Amino acid sequence: MMSEVLRLENVTKSFKHKIAVNQVSFSIKKGEVTAILGPNGAGKTTTISMILGLLKPTTGDITLFNSQPQELHVRQRIRTMLQQVSVMPGLNVNEILMLIRSYYLEPLPLTDLIHLTGLTEQDLKTRTEKLSGGQKRRLNFALALAGNPELMIFDEPTVGMDITSRHHFWQTINTFANQGKTIIFSTHYLQEANDNAQRILLFKDGSIVADSTPQQIKSRISKKAVSFLTDPDTSLEILYQHPEIEKIFRKNNRVYIYSDHTDRILELLFQTKIGAHDIQIESGNLEEAFSQLTGENKEVI
Amino acid sequence: MNAFRMQCKMEIKRVLRNRYFVFWSLMMPILFYYIFTKVVNTDNLDPATWKAHYLMSMTAFSVMGSSIMTLGIRMVQERTQGWSTFIRLTPLPDPIYFSAQMVGQSIIHILSITIIFLAGAIINKISLTPLEWFLSGLWLLLGSLPFLSIGTLIGLMKKVETAAGVSNVLYMVLAVCGGMWMPLEIMPKTMQSIGHWLPSYHFGSGAWEIVQGGMPSWKNIVILFAYLVVLMILSKYIRRKQEAV
Ligand SMILES: Nc1ncnc2c1ncn2[C@@H]1O[C@H](COP(=O)(O)OP(=O)(O)OP(=O)(O)O)[C@@H](O)[C@H]1O
Ligand SMILES: [Mg+2]
Repeated sequence: MMSEVLRLENVTKSFKHKIAVNQVSFSIKKGEVTAILGPNGAGKTTTISMILGLLKPTTGDITLFNSQPQELHVRQRIRTMLQQVSVMPGLNVNEILMLIRSYYLEPLPLTDLIHLTGLTEQDLKTRTEKLSGGQKRRLNFALALAGNPELMIFDEPTVGMDITSRHHFWQTINTFANQGKTIIFSTHYLQEANDNAQRILLFKDGSIVADSTPQQIKSRISKKAVSFLTDPDTSLEILYQHPEIEKIFRKNNRVYIYSDHTDRILELLFQTKIGAHDIQIESGNLEEAFSQLTGENKEVI
Repeated sequence: MNAFRMQCKMEIKRVLRNRYFVFWSLMMPILFYYIFTKVVNTDNLDPATWKAHYLMSMTAFSVMGSSIMTLGIRMVQERTQGWSTFIRLTPLPDPIYFSAQMVGQSIIHILSITIIFLAGAIINKISLTPLEWFLSGLWLLLGSLPFLSIGTLIGLMKKVETAAGVSNVLYMVLAVCGGMWMPLEIMPKTMQSIGHWLPSYHFGSGAWEIVQGGMPSWKNIVILFAYLVVLMILSKYIRRKQEAV
């Protein structure tokens, strides 16, 4: 109980003719890094907005640090970066950071903020309305970190970032995760979820259709396979008899064996001595899992 | 408390860097004042009275402008650019944010009043008693309240362009018909009777009375107060309607 940061209980949000989030329940413990995935319109932003207290659930309860989302002591401890980049016209980056830091009891030092987000000395003196898109995102990230929050919630944080910024962003997030901060983010980049999250909440049509580690989701859905090269004349008959093998076929000289027990297959390959070399284990990928679970094509993810 | 001070400071910085503000609320009134007391000949009026009268007109014009335009347009900007949402997500309490804006706006008004009064004193060597300077300044500061509520009404608009357009027109109409550019007495009768019901006329009129050794009339105070109440109720009503959607 102590270490629970966030809890949603049967949360539903309906707009006029549309149920955007339907009976969603989950809880998140301190230090967890969670990715929220799902196709367009699945209810990710709506869920995040309710957690932040920007929208009220139609029914159901949301508790953050055992309190309501709107309470000021909750606001001291959480921070976000919204999909829309917000800047305050008329101030330069340095002034705006000073201003926001003054709202918090234990703000991060300015030097840390600069170091963590990759803002430059030059950026600091620039008026916010004159920043480039990427610089605005960096400022937005710095604003998100300014209060040294315990829980960070990001809705599609890396949209519009170049590769360097993206890399920088995830490096920083991982640093925070290692310090025991709790992080929740939504993304359409499955690789990001795979690389950075310990837990994936997969949304579809307003409900959670999967909630587990990236590995579990992958193994639950897609078949694992072992593939290897061998002399085309070698007979594979000896393998056919084993019950662990679900399917076996040749494609361009490479033999593919589908099975849930890839370790056992490897053992077999070495025992039978059929001259298998260049052996590879394919453990299924998240995209495949994603499209199976949501019934979507890869293109629309 | 630190947050409140910082917020006030930044609000003031932002306004001073706003080109709209510097142009409409400082440069224009001083320029007009110079032209209509030095360049254009207004010999049918007593010069000393006219110079003090017109200084009050121009200061009222300035304060009215920053109340309606600067505040209104900025509110729309902050909302459309997501800044209001951003602030809502920080631990800054709403009352602190609101009062910092009000304090910031008042300091800006005090600054404008001081600068324009100084300019007038320098340009035309106006001699008012210290009490008259003080009371007219105070009147202009407090009398700006109905115009600030017009500003918050404009601030409820959806687009910056509409807000800028509407506030510009409103500002000019109020200024001209309220006798801020030219005294109502020299205007056609119909204009005069309209002008006597506008808040801008009563705003200016209070200050004109003070510099002529009098005091704002009850009518000035009652009409400005009535506008304030009506506008506040109206903006509360509209805001509630917007939230309901
Ligand atoms: N203010 C609103 N009024 C009416 N319907 C809304 C509103 N906001 C969201 N919706 C609907 O709720 C559903 C969920 O939207 P939401 O923005 O949460 O999706 P999302 O998962 O964030 O999608 P995306 O990946 O495109 O960002 C959508 O069908 C959307 O049309
Ligand atoms: Mg979204």
